[in-house]
This record gives sequence, C-alpha cells and structure tokens, in this order.
Amino acid sequence: MNPEVPVLWATAIATLGVYTILYRENPISRLFEHIFVGLAAGYLILVTWTQNLEAKWWAPMVHQGRWQWIFAPVIGLLFYFIYSRRLLWMARLVMGLTFGTAAGYTFRQFFPINAPQITASFKPLRPDLVPPSAGEALHPLRVLDAWGYVILHNWVFAIILFTVLSYFFFSVPHEGRFGRVLGRSSMAGRWFLMIAFGAMFGNTVMARLSLFIGRMQFLLFDWLGHYVTWFGGRG
Amino acid sequence: MAQAPATGSWDYLQRMPRYVIYLLLAGVVLWQLLAPIRFPIVPSSTTRDVYKAIRAAPENKLIIISVDWDASTQAETGPQTAAVIRACFESGKRFALMNWTAPMGAKLANDIARPIAEQYHAEYGRDWCNWGFKSGGANVLMAMVKNIPETMGNDVRGKRVTSLPMMKGVRDIKDIGLVVEVTGLAGVTETWIGLVQGPYQTPLTAAYTAVMAPGYYAYTDSGQLKGMLVGVKGAAEMEVLERKPGLGSAIMSAQSWGHILILALIILGNTGYLLARGRARRERA
Repeated sequence: MNPEVPVLWATAIATLGVYTILYRENPISRLFEHIFVGLAAGYLILVTWTQNLEAKWWAPMVHQGRWQWIFAPVIGLLFYFIYSRRLLWMARLVMGLTFGTAAGYTFRQFFPINAPQITASFKPLRPDLVPPSAGEALHPLRVLDAWGYVILHNWVFAIILFTVLSYFFFSVPHEGRFGRVLGRSSMAGRWFLMIAFGAMFGNTVMARLSLFIGRMQFLLFDWLGHYVTWFGGRG
Repeated sequence: MAQAPATGSWDYLQRMPRYVIYLLLAGVVLWQLLAPIRFPIVPSSTTRDVYKAIRAAPENKLIIISVDWDASTQAETGPQTAAVIRACFESGKRFALMNWTAPMGAKLANDIARPIAEQYHAEYGRDWCNWGFKSGGANVLMAMVKNIPETMGNDVRGKRVTSLPMMKGVRDIKDIGLVVEVTGLAGVTETWIGLVQGPYQTPLTAAYTAVMAPGYYAYTDSGQLKGMLVGVKGAAEMEVLERKPGLGSAIMSAQSWGHILILALIILGNTGYLLARGRARRERA
C-alpha cells in the first residue's frame, strides 16, 4: 500500500470530524480538536529537544565537558517553587528576571517601532512640495496621475489622522464653539474608524474563507483525487 | 444553537438557517474549485514591493524567510511561502528558512520548499537551507544579529549550519540582505522591527494572513516594511508577477465567488430587514 494513503485518510477523517461542529457541538469534533491540540503540544516538545536543547545544552554538557550547563535547568526549575508558600521567594527570583528581561526588550523595541510611525505622519500637503514621481508605486490602476494620487493620499491621511485622534480626546466637553467643532470632528473620526473596522471585517471573511477553501482543496484534489481521476491534480 | 423559526418571506431573509448559508457557501466553493470562472488578478503596490525587495536583495547576502506559521493558517501562509520561495529561486537568491514562534512552520515550509527546489534544480545547503525552529522567542533574534551560526546550531536535518556551503562567510545580521516574515501571529513583526530592522537597518518585508494585514499598512507607509502580501490574495498576486499560477491563483476564483455570495446574503438580509420594517409600520398605521 502507498504509505501516503493512511495519512490521506487520517487527514480527511480529521477534517470532516472537525467540521461536524457546523451541525452542532458534538463529541466527534471535540475528540479531533483535542487530538490536534495534543499533537501540537507533543510536537513542540519533540522539536524543542531535537532542534534546541540537544544541540545547545545536552551535547555541550555531556560530550564537550561544559558541565556548568547543569545549572541551567536548576534555575528553570525554580519556577515550580510557586507551589510552596515557604519557598515562594525562590520562584520570584526567576520571575523577576523574566519580567525584567521582557521589560528591557519592550523598552528597547519601543523607539525603533514607534518613532518612524510618528515621523511618517508628517506628509506634505502642498502640491509644490511633492515630487511629481513620488506616487508612482501607489497607483497600479493608473486612475490618477502620480502627483494627484499623492496629494489625495496625503490629504485623506491627514484628515483621518486628526479626526480619529479627536475621537480619543476626552479632556474637553463637546460644548461651546471649540467643543462643537471637536464634537463634529470626533463624529467624523468615529465614522472613519467604522470604515476601517469594516475593512478589517472584510479581510477576516477573506481569511476564514481561505481556510475553508484550503480544506476543500485537500478533500477534493488530494483525498478524493487520489481515487477519482476526474478531479485531477491539486491546483 | 436553536434559532427562532422564520414567519414570513422577509423574516426568512433575516433569519435564514445557518445550514442553508453553509450549504450555499460549500456549493459555491465546490463549483469554483471544479469549474473556475476567474477574475483578473491585479498585483497591488504592496505585493509589487515584496517582489521588488526580493529581486533587489544583494546576491552576496542571504535572505531569511521566517516561517512563523502553523497548520491553522496554512491555507493562506502556505501559498505565500511558496510564492516567496519561488521568487527567491527565480532571481537566484540563496535563502534560509527559520522559525522562532510556531514550531510546525519549519516542517510545513520544508515540505513546500522541497518540490519547488527540485523544479529549479536547487540544491539543499548550496541554494537554500532550513535552520528549523529555535525556541527562546525574542532572545533568538537578539542572539542571531550578533552570531548566526552559534544561534542556529543545527539545521532541520541535524547538521551543523556551519557545515552547509551556503553558510560560508555568514556571521551576523550584516550578512543578511532581506528578511521575509511570513506569519499569522500578531506581534512577530514588531519584534523584527524593534530588534533587527530598526537598529540594524536590515530590509524587512512580510506576508500576513488577511485578518491581521490591515494593522500593518502603517508599517509599509512608514517604510519599516518593504511591502507585504495580504492573505492568499497576496500569494496570487505574487504568482501573477512571477508568471507562474499556483495555489494562490487556484484559490482566488473560489474566494471571489465566495465573497460575492456573502455580499449577496448581506444585501438580502438587509433588504429583508427594511421590507419587514416597512410592513410593520404599515400594519401599525
């Protein structure tokens, strides 16, 4: 028997088993869900050993005489003192170390991530400040010329930026002349946010549909296609 | 979940049973997979930028394809990975697959890379390699920028990465010409930007699942990302640029018709709501 066949059948049964959830909550879909989670966890342990610990910890310690690596798991095991009231302080040592490292990483990453975002928000709004070639990459359909596209892009960007920021500005009541302007701007910002959330929802639909199509492709072309030549090859 | 029975035709449009929607969607997808009616695929500017970034990567430097995805997003990230790998082979760029968040990614991407490498007569270790999954999260990137061979240790085949011919002369992040991040996980790109792209100016480009892509347009606008692929649509667009229709293009017709069905159902549901409301008003009057 072709060694591929049992794999195909197992995958097909698992796929159909998980999709039984569409009918209603049932033990079959739960079973396959648990199998999937269990397999993923087991695979993580295996891969962590074969591709990380064995090469970087076990082999140097056992075969290259770097005996000091024995202390690495001892430090890791200190986490388990969280279950002891008397020795909890030992768990706190490694937790503090972990949180400190995470805080350090976050601090280190903050400026490289956010500073360019702030500087990129300063876009030219006057036509004479925009080089005519600036928007060539932005208009694959060539509806507008590059220059017009950049002007439109930058103005739309600036208006949305200010109105959305005003939506999150809660320090001034929407009363009086300034308050009323702020209120209108805030309302526009809310609409822009809704449009953005709509675009995100559309993308979510696309993502979920892709996953479904991927499974259907497998069932049709890989599983059934293995037996029925009419379905042909995948893709 | 029990649903209230539909009482009239307008009500039915609003309360269409879920199984009818599922069956309609499955029918449309099946129809399009078996007899596709294709729409033209126009590559977006973000996809073009990814393609350009791969072609512009220096020949003497390595491209890293960070495959931080697993089976749950394979339908999108799989075709994206395939399209990126093909672009690398087409332009004669050497690349290394790596993974530091989702352990299955290295194996799944390996299964994608092998047949494509055979098509291009590319040799493992000379034209491409797979560093495998490295645990440690952000520490992996921090260590990698200073010492790639020491951080990566062994590849997926259990060989020291230093024994691979293509790794000769590859020491640190300065020997990397481009990083392509393929992921369905939020936060991964930020770590690349914060620890690699920002401090070392290593060009970074990405491929995302469609659901997370909208949040990353700001990074393409600021130039931190040199383009990005959006879901399976991005993969299909790359295939158009490569002139090699593959998995992405095959999915797109089913995708487009599925969207048309969903739009039609939204319009029908809203029409039902408006008409039912009008009828209720007339009855009250």
